[in-house]
Amino acid sequence: MSAIERLVNEFSGGRRRPLRVLGASGQLGYGIPTPALNEGLRRNPDMIGCDMGSIDIGPHYLGNGTMAPTRVGAKRDLRKVLKAARQLDIPLIIGSAGSAGAAPHLEQTVDLVREIAREEDLHFRMAVIPADIPRDVVKAAIRTGRVHPLDTMPDLTEEEVDAASNLVGQMGVEAFRRALEAGADVVIAGRACDTGIFAAIPIMLGFPAGIATHMAKIVECASLCCVPGGRDTILATLDDEGFDLESMAPNRAATPSSVAAHSLYEQADPYEIREPAGRIDLRNVTYTALDPRRTRVSGAAFEPAQRQTIKLEGARSVGHRALLLCGAADPRFIARHEMILESVKAVVRDLVCEDTEEDYKLFFRVYGADGVRDWGAAPDPLPREVFILGECIAPSAQRAEEVVRTTKQYLLHHGYEGRISTAGNLAFPFTPPEVVTGSAYRFNVFHLMEVDDMASLFPVEIEEL
Amino acid sequence: MQLQEIARVLRSKNAGPCLVTFDLIFDRSEDFERVRSQVARLRSEVAARYGRSENEVRVIDYAPAQAVKITIPRDIMSGDPGDRDVYGAQQHAPLLEIEV
Repeated sequence: MSAIERLVNEFSGGRRRPLRVLGASGQLGYGIPTPALNEGLRRNPDMIGCDMGSIDIGPHYLGNGTMAPTRVGAKRDLRKVLKAARQLDIPLIIGSAGSAGAAPHLEQTVDLVREIAREEDLHFRMAVIPADIPRDVVKAAIRTGRVHPLDTMPDLTEEEVDAASNLVGQMGVEAFRRALEAGADVVIAGRACDTGIFAAIPIMLGFPAGIATHMAKIVECASLCCVPGGRDTILATLDDEGFDLESMAPNRAATPSSVAAHSLYEQADPYEIREPAGRIDLRNVTYTALDPRRTRVSGAAFEPAQRQTIKLEGARSVGHRALLLCGAADPRFIARHEMILESVKAVVRDLVCEDTEEDYKLFFRVYGADGVRDWGAAPDPLPREVFILGECIAPSAQRAEEVVRTTKQYLLHHGYEGRISTAGNLAFPFTPPEVVTGSAYRFNVFHLMEVDDMASLFPVEIEEL
Repeated sequence: MQLQEIARVLRSKNAGPCLVTFDLIFDRSEDFERVRSQVARLRSEVAARYGRSENEVRVIDYAPAQAVKITIPRDIMSGDPGDRDVYGAQQHAPLLEIEV
C-alpha cells in the first residue's frame, strides 16, 4: 500500500488527528540545511513538500528551458528529500520543477530523480504532471473571450501565443490530487501554484480548504515567515480549526507578527490568496503565540470561484545579449557621462550600420548614477567612481558582440569636451571586458484563462521506479 | 518624521512581473496609526516620486502586522529589455525620506 493510500485509509473512517506537514525548501536546488531538515524528519511528518520555482526570477529560465540552480545543486537537494521521504515512507511533493515548470524543466528534474533512484536503490511510484498548455487550447480560449490580461498586460493575441518559447499554466490542488489518488509516492509537477504542493493532501483528507491553503501559502517558503527569516525546514501541524507553525531551526521563531508579515510578501493584497478553484479570504485570520517560537494561525475561509481559472505564463525570445563591463573615475567624464554615452551610441551606430539597418538595442546602466533606478536627475554630489554596464540585444550573438566590442573601443577613446585624461576613459577589471550571455527573453504571456476541464490540461503520467 | 526613521521594515519586491509592492512594517502602534491616518498624502507622495498618477497607487493597511502596503505598476515589466531590477528588490529608496 502506498503512503498516501495509508493516510487516506487512516482518515476515511472519520477519525481525525492533526496532520504534520514539512516544508523542506522554498527554493529547491539552492541547498537545504541538514540540521533543520533532520529535526523535521524526527517529528514524524505525514508529508514533505518543496517548491522549486517562481516567476520572480524573470523570463530567461522559462524562455530558455534552463533551471536557475545548478544541476549539481538540484540533484543534491533532491537526493536529500527523496531519501528522507522513502525512508519514512511518506509522500514527497515537488512543484514548479526546474524553476519555471515547462517541459524541459520537468524533464531535467525527472531525469535527476531517476538517476538518484538508481544510485540509491530507491523504488517508488512517481507521478509526473506536465504544465505546458497546448497552443490551440489557448487560441481557442482567446477567440471565445476566455483569456484575460493580468495587472498591466495587454490582451493576449494568437501571434504572442505562437511566439512564446514555452507556455505553461499554473496547476492547482486538483492536479496534485489526481496524482495522489493514483497512488503516487513522489509527485513531480511542472508549473504549479505553490499552495497546491501542500494543500492537496490535507484537502483530500477532509481538512478545511481555507485553512489548508493558508498553511500551504506560508510553508512553501520554508522558514521565511520566521524571525530571523531563513530557508530552514518548517513544520506545520494542521487540525480542523487552524495550524501551528514551528521552524525546525532553533534560532528562528515563528511569532504572530512575523507570520502575519509574511502575508505581505510578494503579494499585492495581504487579505486574499487567489487559487484556480477559488479565493481564500484572510480578513478574519488570527495569529496567536503558543510559546516564543511557535504561532497558531486560524480563520482563513475558502470561497469557491464561479469559474475556474489558471494563470498562463509565457516567455518569448527578443534576441541575443552581449555585455560590456567597465568603470570610470575621472570627475569630468562622470559629470558629462550622459552626453558622452549618447555620442558614442551615435558613433557606433554609424559604424556598425553602414550597410545594415539598426537592428539592435544598446542600453547603458551607470552604477553610481542610474544603474538601479531611472532617477530622472543626476546625482548630487557626483559619485567618485561609476560602473558602466553596456548591454546590447541584437538578432544574433555575433551582432550583439560586434556592437559591444565597437562600443568598448569608441567609449574608451571618445574625445569629449574638457577631457584631460587622453590615454583612455575606462578602467577594465579584466579583458576581454565583453561577455556574450546568450538568448534574451521577455514575458509575453501573463494572463488568466477560464478552464472547464483541468484534468485534460494537466495529465498525470505514472512511472514505477 | 521620515518613514525610514519609524519603519522596522521598508522593502520593495515584485508582486508578479507587472507590479512592484512596498511593505512598511512598524514596531510601534502609534507609528502605524500615524502612517495609516495619512494614506491620502502617502498616495500622492508615492505617485509624485514614482512618476505615477494617484489612481495607479494602491495603499492597503494591514493591522495584523502593523503594516502598510503600497503597490504600483512597474515602469518596465520584470526582465524586459531595459529593466534595471528584475526582482524589484531595490525600488524602495524614494520612499525612505517621505515625511509623515
